[in-house]
Amino acid sequence: MKLSYFYEIALFVMLILLQVLLLNRISLFGLATPVLYGYFLLKLPMGRNLFFVIISAFLMGLIIDIFLNTPGMNAAAFTIVASLRKPVMDLFFEKVEYDAFVPGIYTAAGPFVRFTIFMVLLHLTLLFFIESFTLFNLMSTLLRIVTSAAITILIIITMDSLLYKRKQSEHT
Amino acid sequence: MRHLFNFIIRNSHWLVAILLVALSFYLVFTHNSYQRSVYLTSANHVAGMFYTASDNVTSFFFLKKSNQLLLERNAALEKTLYALLAENDSVEVSDSVGMNAFVADSAGQPQFVFIPAKVVNLSFSGVNNFITLNKGASNGIKPDMGVISQRGVVGVVSNVSPNFSVVIPVINPKFRLSARLKNSENYGSLSWDGKNIRVAQLQELPRHEPFHEGDTVLTSFSRIFPKNLIIGYVSETGVSGDDNFNTFNIHLATDFYTLQDVLVINDLFYEEQKALEDILQ
Repeated sequence: MKLSYFYEIALFVMLILLQVLLLNRISLFGLATPVLYGYFLLKLPMGRNLFFVIISAFLMGLIIDIFLNTPGMNAAAFTIVASLRKPVMDLFFEKVEYDAFVPGIYTAAGPFVRFTIFMVLLHLTLLFFIESFTLFNLMSTLLRIVTSAAITILIIITMDSLLYKRKQSEHT
Repeated sequence: MRHLFNFIIRNSHWLVAILLVALSFYLVFTHNSYQRSVYLTSANHVAGMFYTASDNVTSFFFLKKSNQLLLERNAALEKTLYALLAENDSVEVSDSVGMNAFVADSAGQPQFVFIPAKVVNLSFSGVNNFITLNKGASNGIKPDMGVISQRGVVGVVSNVSPNFSVVIPVINPKFRLSARLKNSENYGSLSWDGKNIRVAQLQELPRHEPFHEGDTVLTSFSRIFPKNLIIGYVSETGVSGDDNFNTFNIHLATDFYTLQDVLVINDLFYEEQKALEDILQ
């Protein structure tokens, strides 16, 4: 149990640093920016306390906002995603799976991919619409959402397969 | 009653979520209209430290290019220096012959002082582009000072903390600047449409104005920048909303992708000019 918390805190910090120091400087074709920190919500155990999920998501969004000078935007989008996490999980995963179950590409490939796609699209849609409230036209916002989501999903699935494999080899 | 309490307890996480989302939106709406809070921006100390550490690593990769730029700039300055020296010589010669009724104060007070600073963070990914610099109020930087690079205009300082400052660059939709083409006195308004960080738009220039591709775009009247600083070069005619005016796409002189060193302009007469102009308002 304690090890799992430690692992989550490390993931929390690493994802924030990765996002603000590296990923947010990427703008592929002037459109696509990977928004990877949502991976944190995907990797929390299924039965985790809902307060914990929501408050940690809010904090993560707020810290990223502070770094990116966009107060509230990431926090708002990520808190909404976090509060919808439980119903979405019930939608994609079977109810019988136990509370400590961590979604992953090797534990449940199909549901995990669908879950990832849904969560990332939800997150980026909220984020980019909050960000571009009045300034930009609909088409460019939609294009940014779709391209950014595509690259984010690709990175998440790659990362999940790599991280999990390394963990397995450590155990053996 | 008990059912009500049970209901509230069972759904209290929704309550927390709604509260936090409301708080976030409060931040979105209040902050973006003021842009003056230091604690929740990258001008704060901790965020600035992280960005400085990361910049120490990344700046290494641009050393060669920065060096090249410095050499070019140095060469250009040397050229002007010699031109001025030559001119100076000729002036002294003519002076000794004639007699002047009026001699200008040759040791005049310079209007502009430049504070060199390093870029510690750049953000270009979205609508809210900004730049963080490693100098702040303790180095004499104040909000509303202009920022330039060796090549051209960069932006305007918006937030300042003791050791860091945040700059709104040309490539931010909130940025406005009056600009003109090199060979004319009519000025238009420079802004950015959010599409390409190498290209900004010069609007509201009268249609009869002659222009060519590659024309230099300079700063016009501004409280923030000196006159005749290079902004960029005309690349093509853009889409104009009004028949009487032209819109140009401007290829920006500053390359924001590799921006490393900038100069902050301290206008020593700023307060004086502002005070004088404010009397009339």
